[in-house]
Parts: sequence; C-alpha cells; structure tokens
Amino acid sequence: MSIAPHVLEFSCDDEEAGRALSALYHAAPETDLPPTLRYSLSGTGGRYVARSPSRPPFGPTSLEEAWAFVEWRAIEDVLNDPGPDAVFVHAAGVRVGGRLLLLVGPSGSGKTTLAAALLSRGHPVLGDDVLRFAPTTGEYSAFPRSFKLDDNTLTVLELWRGSSLDEVPGTFLALGCLYVSPVALCHAWLAEPGRPWGVVVLDPGRREGAARLESFSEGQAAVRVVQSMLGASTGPGAGARVNAGLGLVESVAQARAFRVGGLGVLATADLVEEAARS
Amino acid sequence: MHERAAPPRPLARADVALRRVGSEWVLFDAARERAHVLNQAAAAVWAFCDGTRDPGEIALAIAGSVTSPEPGAIARDVEDAVRRFAAEGLLQ
Repeated sequence: MSIAPHVLEFSCDDEEAGRALSALYHAAPETDLPPTLRYSLSGTGGRYVARSPSRPPFGPTSLEEAWAFVEWRAIEDVLNDPGPDAVFVHAAGVRVGGRLLLLVGPSGSGKTTLAAALLSRGHPVLGDDVLRFAPTTGEYSAFPRSFKLDDNTLTVLELWRGSSLDEVPGTFLALGCLYVSPVALCHAWLAEPGRPWGVVVLDPGRREGAARLESFSEGQAAVRVVQSMLGASTGPGAGARVNAGLGLVESVAQARAFRVGGLGVLATADLVEEAARS
Repeated sequence: MHERAAPPRPLARADVALRRVGSEWVLFDAARERAHVLNQAAAAVWAFCDGTRDPGEIALAIAGSVTSPEPGAIARDVEDAVRRFAAEGLLQ
C-alpha cells in the first residue's frame, strides 16, 4: 500500500495475523509499485516473529506484541524518511463544512477522540494522529493510518452497539486499544488536502467544567503546530525540516485559533461544528 | 539571581525568521526547530537588532511606532526584549 513516498508491503502466513496487519493501514490506497519497506509476521503455535527493514527480528511472542512491533516500526520508518518535500506532524485534520481544521495537542489530549467523533458525523478527515505537510505548497494531506480507540471512546461515541467487532473490517484489538480503519467510521472518510482554516489546540490540563471552545492566541497556536513536527532531525528527511518549520508557521498565518476546554467530546464536537460554520 | 546585561549591539541570527501570524508575530529558530511568540513591540525591537545599534538607540528608533504609558518604559522594554532574545539563543 502507498504511504507516499513509500510503498509498504505487509505479509504473513496465517489468517489471524493477516487480519491484524490489514487493520494497520486499512484505508491506505493499494498500488502496483514495488515495495520500498517490507514487514512480516510469521507464526507457529500461536507465537509470532515480526520482521521489519530497520530492526532485528522480534519474537517469538504473542500476536499482539508482534503486531505492536510492526506497527511501531512501520510508522517510524515512514516518519524518518518523509520524502524530499514533506514532513509529518503530530496532529489531526478534519474538514467541517469544507473548512480544514488542524487539531493539535500532546498525546492523550483528545485529538483522536474528537476526530473520531467528527468523522462519525460525516466530516471527512486527513488523519487522527499524523498528517503530511508539504512546505512548498503549505498544504496538509492524509496519512491513512487507523485510529486507536479505547473502550471509553467507543462507549461515548456509541460505535457499533450490539455488533461484534470481529465483523467490522479494518479493526484489530491490541494492547488495550482498538485499531479502527477510518473507513469503518465513515465510508467517505478522506478529506481533500489543503491549508487550514482553523487550528484547534487541545490541552490535557483544561478538562474541567462544561465543554467550551475559546478564541486563542494565533501566535501560540503556530508555536504548537511547529512543536508537532515529527521525525528525526538527522538522516534522509532532515534537510526538509529546516524549511518545514517556517512553512508550518506560514501555513497557519491566516488561520483562526481556538482552544478546547472542559469535558464532553460530543459537546466539543458540537462547538467545533458551530465554529467552522460561522 | 544575577541578571545578565543586554548585549551592547545585538545582532539577530540570520537563520531566525520573523513572520506575522494573525495579530501577533512569531520568530522561528530553524536550528533548534523552536518558535517564539512576540508582541508588536518585541517584533519592532527584533527588526532593529542589526548589530549597529545599542538598546538605547533601538528604543529611539522604535519610539514612534509603539505607545508607552510612562517615560523610560520603552527603554526598559527594549532591554528586556534583547535580554530575552539573548537568553533564547536568538542572537549571534
């Protein structure tokens, strides 16, 4: 499958491992181009060995742990070599009413939950955790990795009530999280790339009281976007990073800035919809 | 704690870029991949950190473009801004 600029190949030798692997980049487009990165899971008696291009083999171990190794290697290898005119950023991207919103914040701040809530309402996304940014165009585009949802998120969003998750394509339960393809949340999941209309900052320390969406410092929002840049500062992608940071600042120079506070992802999603339609 | 004096003739690093973001200004330090938010007054100070002016001369240069509630405040603000720039490693 194509995760530009790479072509990732996942292989395995049994059905259970195959289902697990298919959940990782389930929504990524397939391609006939030759693979640039190869990952595999091979198992015997319920124990698996995971292989990646960049590390020694891992295992034998449980399918969950072997899969987690592949998941981490696959994303690490892509992040560290984003291509000549790209960097990856730790952010979610959602189009609401045609307007692209960047959701930025540290891990655990609620980006995935909010993105999943908006996607399940039919608002297309670029991703929930990682986006691709092209400094020369100032545009963000999709990184089609599956969402990682926990039990609480599934309950709050009332996803698949009464269904067996085994029946939902592109899902895999690993290490306490359900990996869910965005296709499973909304068939027309993929947003058009573009420049952001707004930046929504999520801070874990502001979860008190009723949900609110406040105006925020545009400069501080730009700083958060710069801080979200991913990948190694040395190696094949390092050259692009010098221009990328400035490009990130410029990409949000005209964007409105908001900050989320309070509790309640559904109420927050309501506020985001209202702001994007104002 | 001993506070450092502002550099005598501050010179901005060539690889630090100033950009307007909304109503604010952001300095991007490419070498450290860090960004700093400035208000309009600090952005004006930055623009005059060309290695030829001391903080007093910078204060005179920007006096026409910033409002100040009291005499001497601009000079103090310039000293503070230059010290901050130095502390963040933004000057040569």
